[in-house]
This record gives sequence, C-alpha cells and structure tokens, in this order.
Amino acid sequence: MKFSDVDVAVIGSGPAGMAAAIKAKQEGAEHVLILERQEQLGGLLHQCVHNGFGLLYFGQDLTGPEYACRFVEKVRDLGIEVLLETMVTQISVDRKLTAVNSREGPIHLQPKSIVLAMGCRERSRGQLSIPGTRPAGIFTAGTAQRLVNVEGFIPGKKVVILGSGDIGMIMARRLSLEGVEVKGVVEILPYVGGLIRNEVQCLHDFDIPLLLEHTVTQIHGEQRVEAVTIAKVDKNKRPIDGTEQNIECDTLLLSVGLIPENELSRMAGVDLDPLVGGPVVDERRETNIPGIFAGGNVVHVHDLVDDVSWEAEIAGAWAAKLSQKGDFEKKGKIILRPGRNIRSVVPQTISGQSDVTFYIRVKEMEEKVGLRIGDFYHRAFRVVKPSEMIKVDLLQKELNLLKGNLSELVVECQKGE
Amino acid sequence: MEKMETEVLIIGGGVLGAVVARELSRYKVDVILVEKEADFGWGSTKTNMCIVCQGGDTLEFRPEYHRSKLVWDSIPLMEPLCQELDVPFKRVGELALIRNNEELGKFRKLKSKAEKLGLAGHQFIDQDTLRQMEPHATREAIAALYDPNIAIVDPVRLTIALIENAGQNGVQVMRETEVLNIFQKGNQFEVETNRGSIKCRFIVNAAGTSVEKIARLVNSDDFVLYPIRGYVGILDKKLGDLIKHEIHMRPDAPGQMNILTPSIHGNLFFGTTMQPARRGDYSTTRRIAQIGLQNVRKIIPDISEKDIIHSFAGFLMFRNWEVGWHESVVQASRKVSRFISICMGYPGVSAAPATGREVAELLRREGLRLESNLRFSPFRKASPIFNQLSEEQQRELIAQDSRYGHVVCRCETVTEGEIVEAVRRGATTLDGVKFRTRAGMGRCQGGFCTPRVAKILGRELGLPEEKITKKGRKSRILLYKTKELLGGEL
Repeated sequence: MKFSDVDVAVIGSGPAGMAAAIKAKQEGAEHVLILERQEQLGGLLHQCVHNGFGLLYFGQDLTGPEYACRFVEKVRDLGIEVLLETMVTQISVDRKLTAVNSREGPIHLQPKSIVLAMGCRERSRGQLSIPGTRPAGIFTAGTAQRLVNVEGFIPGKKVVILGSGDIGMIMARRLSLEGVEVKGVVEILPYVGGLIRNEVQCLHDFDIPLLLEHTVTQIHGEQRVEAVTIAKVDKNKRPIDGTEQNIECDTLLLSVGLIPENELSRMAGVDLDPLVGGPVVDERRETNIPGIFAGGNVVHVHDLVDDVSWEAEIAGAWAAKLSQKGDFEKKGKIILRPGRNIRSVVPQTISGQSDVTFYIRVKEMEEKVGLRIGDFYHRAFRVVKPSEMIKVDLLQKELNLLKGNLSELVVECQKGE
Repeated sequence: MEKMETEVLIIGGGVLGAVVARELSRYKVDVILVEKEADFGWGSTKTNMCIVCQGGDTLEFRPEYHRSKLVWDSIPLMEPLCQELDVPFKRVGELALIRNNEELGKFRKLKSKAEKLGLAGHQFIDQDTLRQMEPHATREAIAALYDPNIAIVDPVRLTIALIENAGQNGVQVMRETEVLNIFQKGNQFEVETNRGSIKCRFIVNAAGTSVEKIARLVNSDDFVLYPIRGYVGILDKKLGDLIKHEIHMRPDAPGQMNILTPSIHGNLFFGTTMQPARRGDYSTTRRIAQIGLQNVRKIIPDISEKDIIHSFAGFLMFRNWEVGWHESVVQASRKVSRFISICMGYPGVSAAPATGREVAELLRREGLRLESNLRFSPFRKASPIFNQLSEEQQRELIAQDSRYGHVVCRCETVTEGEIVEAVRRGATTLDGVKFRTRAGMGRCQGGFCTPRVAKILGRELGLPEEKITKKGRKSRILLYKTKELLGGEL
C-alpha cells in the first residue's frame, strides 16, 4: 500500500483499535490502516486469558484471546491494512503522523482522519510514592499478568496485592491457581475498586483475604521484596498509627488505577480532560483537533471491554464519514458539566444534532439516587458506585427537546429519589 | 580463585573512582578498578540532582574548604571532559529566588563573595525579568540571583563514559567485586575480594558510603563521616517545559534544600530533605516525600502529586564541625603509605575532574611513577540514542541493524538496538539497561518493557530469564516458571 493515501489511520489494535478500524471500513472508508506496536493484533487482550469478555457485545462468555480473535478475523476479511511492530512516534496538529519499524524505518503518513486507540497504562509504584526500599519484586498487576500468561513465569511465591482493581483481583486468582500464596488484597477504599463479579469469583471463591481501608505503608528488602508493612487508614486515607502489621512476602503487585495513554494526543495538541485523563471529545468522539478521533480506554477507563469496542466504533464510524466528506466543521456545542457526585462525563461536549452514548462515573458510592442530565433525562438508581460506570444512550430525537441556544447541561446525582 | 596483580587498585566505580581511573590511564600505570555492584555509578552518583555547581550550593562559597577549590578548579574542565567523552552537558543557568528583603541581603553578600573569588556572571534580576525567564515560578519571588554558569549532566552516563574511556586506555575493571579484607605485606597490599585476591602497591579508596569501612581495613582512621540521607523526586516529562533554569529557594526549615532542576533527559528533579540515616538504607518515608512535595510547590505552585513518576533517596557524606561539615576527603592516609581515600559531600560530580588530577598527584607523591601513556586517547564515543537522531540517521541506523527500528520502551522510545548495544558495553541487569538506555525510566516505570528487556538480556547474555536480576546479587526478577510451584500435581 501507499502510505500517502490512508483515509483512516487507527493507532493501537486492542479492543478499541480493531473495533474502530472495522467500523470505519464498514462505513465506507477505503484505506484503513492499523498501526500496532506489538508483534500481533489484540493489544492487552492476549494476556487476559480469563473469561468474561464479550458478554454484552457478542452475548457469549469469551476469554480475551477469543474476543480478540473475532475482531482479528474481521480485520483480515475486510482487507484492513496492518503495520505490526510499528511505533507511532509523533502526530502533528495537522494530522501528520510519524512511525517507525524495523522494515521500513521512519514512516510518514497524512491520513484524512486518525483514531486514537492507545488504551491505558497502569499506575506505578513511583506515582504512588510508596515509601520504603527499591528491591526487585514489585510489579504492576498487568505486567505480572503478561509474565504469567504470555512469558510463562511466576514472579514470586508469596504475594501481596495493593489495590483491588480488576486486574489485581484476576491476578490474585490466577496466581492462586499457580500455587502462589496470595496473602491478601489491600484496598485503601471501603469498597473494592473493580467489578463485584471479580470480588466474588476471584477473591471470595479462593479464600483470598480482602483488607478494605488498608494500605501499604512501607516496602522492605534490599535486593528482593522481603515484606511489606500495611496499616489501616482513616477517613482521609491516612495510615492510623499503631495499626501497622508486617506481612512477609517476596512480591508486591499493584492494581491501583489505570491512566489513559495520551502522550501522542498531547503532541497533536489534543485537549485533555483532567477528570478522566483522556481527550475532550464530542458525541462523535472527535477531539478538539479536526479529524482526530478517540475511543476506548484512551478516552477514559471503561469497566468492560464491550464498552471499549462500542465506544471506539463511534469514533471509527465518524472518522470514516468525515474523511469522505472532508468536512470536520463543528456545529453547535453544548458542554456537559459534572454536577453533584459526578466525577466525569464522556463525551464532554455534544452538538445536540446526533445520537449520543454517555458514560458517566460517580464520585462516591451513594444509595437511592436519581441521575439527571439537564431537565430532560432522569433515571433512578438503587445504588451508584465509582467502580460501576453508568451508560446512557440518547437518540437525536430525544435531544430535540433541548432548547435552542443551550450552552451547558448539568449531569448530577440527586439524593433521595 | 584468581590471583591478580596491579600497581594501583581503585576501590569503587562511582564518578570519583571512574574519574581517577580515567586520569591514571593517561600514564603507563597498571590499574584495576573494582566495583561491588553490578554496574557503575549506583551509589551516591546515581542518587544525584545532576547539577554541575560552582560550590555555592550551600548558598555560601567557602574558600576555606578544600573541596571548594576542587569544584572551582573543575569548572573549566567539565565541559571539555564531557565533549571528549561524548556525554551531554547543558548549561541551564541557575535562579535563586528571593522572597523578601532579608533574603535579598543574604544574596547580596553571596554575590559579592562570589565576585571576590573570581566566579563571574552572577547578576540580580527583577521580578519582571524573572516572570519572562520563568513564568511558572511562584509569585512570591520579588527578584532572583541569576548565575548563568550552572549546568546539568547525567552523572551515571558520565561515570560509564569515564570507565569506558579508561578501559580503552588499558584500565581493567571488575564488577560485582567486593573488597572483603586488605593485608599489608611489605610494600604491597593484598586485597581479598569475593573474586580472588589482588596484589597492588597503591590503593585509591573511593568506596562512597563505605569509604571509612575500607579505610579501617588498613587501620587508617583519619576521618569520620556522617551519612546524611537526601530525598529526590522525579516529575513527568510532560512538565519538562515548565522551567528552563535550575531554580532554588532558601529553605524554610533546617535540614532541607529546596531545588527544582531540569535534567538532561527532559524530566524535572526536585529535592531535597536531609536527615541522618543508617548507611546503605536507601528507603524513603511518607513524611519526607510530603515535605519534598510541599517544598517544590513553593517554587512552582502548579506541581501536583500526580506529576511525580519516581522518587529515591541517596547519601551525602558529611564531616564534622572541626574540619567543616561540608569538607571533602581527598587525602593520603597519615598512617599507611600509598593509601589514598576520596569522598565528597554533595558536589561529587562537580568536583570530579579536578579530583582526578589531584589524586594522580597524591599518588605521585606517594611514589607512583607517572610516565605518559603515548597511546592514551581522551575520546570515547557514546552509543546511538535513537530518539535523538535525525530521521536520515535513524534510517541509516535501521538499515545497518534493523533492531534499531524496534521500539521496546515506549515511554522513552528506546529501541532493541540500543539495549543490545548497552549489553555489549557491559549492562547485565535491568537497572544497568535502565541507566544506560533509559528503558524503564519513563512514566510507566517499566510496566510495559520489563518483560521485554528481561528477554533481550537473557538472549544476549546467554542466560535463562529466571537468572536475570534487577540490580545483581539476589535481586532476581522472575522467581519461578509457570506450573513449577504446583509440584507433581499436574
């Protein structure tokens, strides 16, 4: 293929990238190109050998590799072009894209539109500033997952897991199955960070202790981790003196949050939303830079892979449509403002002129609340939790109820409804 | 166990040991350098703010200190040295923020002191100029003292470059070689290490935080040192453009230095708090990290905890009030002939070039013959850094070796080719690769590249991956293979 005539370039080939590319092709984009830094399509799905993927998207309970495989086949069948082991090193404001690989060396592209689908990365020990020494044996849960499921290594025999994100809980189970003693999952919040199904299936079913409102206050060991000190925390998440206990272990896994990976976006001048760490997008998942779209965990971290793919499809579809029309002019703009107990809303802006899929995350767990968007949408919830994203689909005709010159909509949780 | 013999044995492969090795390689002298860690510069050298100072770092230029002379003598030597060794050196300049008239008075005195000592270039700048130079600096600053001479280097890269150049010129280096005992036999030392004994006539003790321990092995106790632990934080590269100069401020509490500086690789470093601590205990504490963050926010209020990607602790060796807390040790033992000890306070890197020369002179006075090595070449070439090359150079490099097109560390854009070259030049560990190439030093802190680097290390060293360590000795990364812990169950 000629790199000069790419219609839609998709960066990343995880559950977002492949879904976006497929949708773009189906919507009529001729040359769709996926750029993937790894040696195969699928992103992190390959190391997710557990099930629970695709329950919504395919109506089937699949493993990560199986979920990936469905998309890989479609990518192949539709004739989507793919560059593997290719690292995108630069994107400019005018959509010039530079990448590099071993075969072609540096590559330049000027796609008509770009879909950002780089996913997210894990928060590291350094970012948490966990006190203590700096021995070997501290891994993020995802790194450990790759080591176990792809590379065939077990990081250690006695493991403490800090944080109850989904990957952490899944690794607790995975390591237990490998004969590792998982001494406990330590969570600073009063509730688990990941899905309830993972708390039940990965921790309770395997008798793995869950220590809520606790954190790791010190790492011990010069060469290899020898122990960690954990302590109970107060309401402000500060360790309480006198509650410290030492747990002997050789490995500490961290599952303390995911950060959308937006270094390329920043280079391209894409505005980021500090609340979610990803680009500010409209309902088409277009960023402030005309022709640059984004979908999946690069925009905000989702709970379920199914939503990652669905959201990326929105980006892929619009990237294709607009690349054909060459018309990236924004229409009217309504800003969504997070109100009471709302951490984030994606998309952050809408035009009011096409269907919208909203993803909303609350700040704190709350019972018996009503979720409101402006004064035209309302839904009652028995309970809302930060760990469970709320999805709201609105059709264009529902949005027609919006008054003419509206510039802002408040999204909020109302108490006692 | 091997038996080795040399004229000069250098103990310690930090920046000071390395600079002495390189200096001695100018002469026809047999030199062995031993380093107990798996790579060079892993003690105080790596736990460093990367600043090349002028000896005004304690906000007082002190001509009565010998170490001040070493720093000042090093000023004209450092940049040419970095050029010879192909090591990046960047003159960023320094701004000392002034918040009130009391501080202004102190900085006035400092400036006139510097001028008397012939240190040129200091000038006061007003608030408007400061705003232009550093728009993000605190609004509390009413003025600043500007020193255009302050520079930054990467101390570990400098150390490795010195070692490589010394190696090219005939110095033998041994890593993971720890000195266990020293026996004096006639006019020779017999140094027992975990890798056999080394006979030598001269010893240069540059063992960093262990410098007294080594001196005691020959019953030389001419100096006492107090280990002071400092804390340094590293900020994400996305803040790299926040400041252009090294900026500091007078601390509001004792035991602190309040500095924010650019680094060679684009991250910002901040620090530091200083507290007495057990030697070799490099752990950080929550309280110290909080103070560090509070302090740096006094310089740039916009910095947030989320911007920190890594933090570490390191040691400064302080002396006592009699000789002066900040005095260095660069001396021949008064009790034992042919035994030189060197240890700096915090301008170890800044003082290194002149210290190398001085140690050569001390050795000559102790009886070492220094005859020029006519084959000495001062030049050493750094390995290619892919993301700093022009596109044409990148294309050429990939054509020669396609592994330079394979990016392994995504945060720092480090290629497989660079990692392979680092291993060829001596990296044997994950940290070795990290300090030589920056793979794993970015914002994800090795989350992505750790398994990949371990694999490349295993392949290049011909070792199974389970044997690969983070930093040598017992710091293995992968303890078992899958199914191994299940015993006979499967």
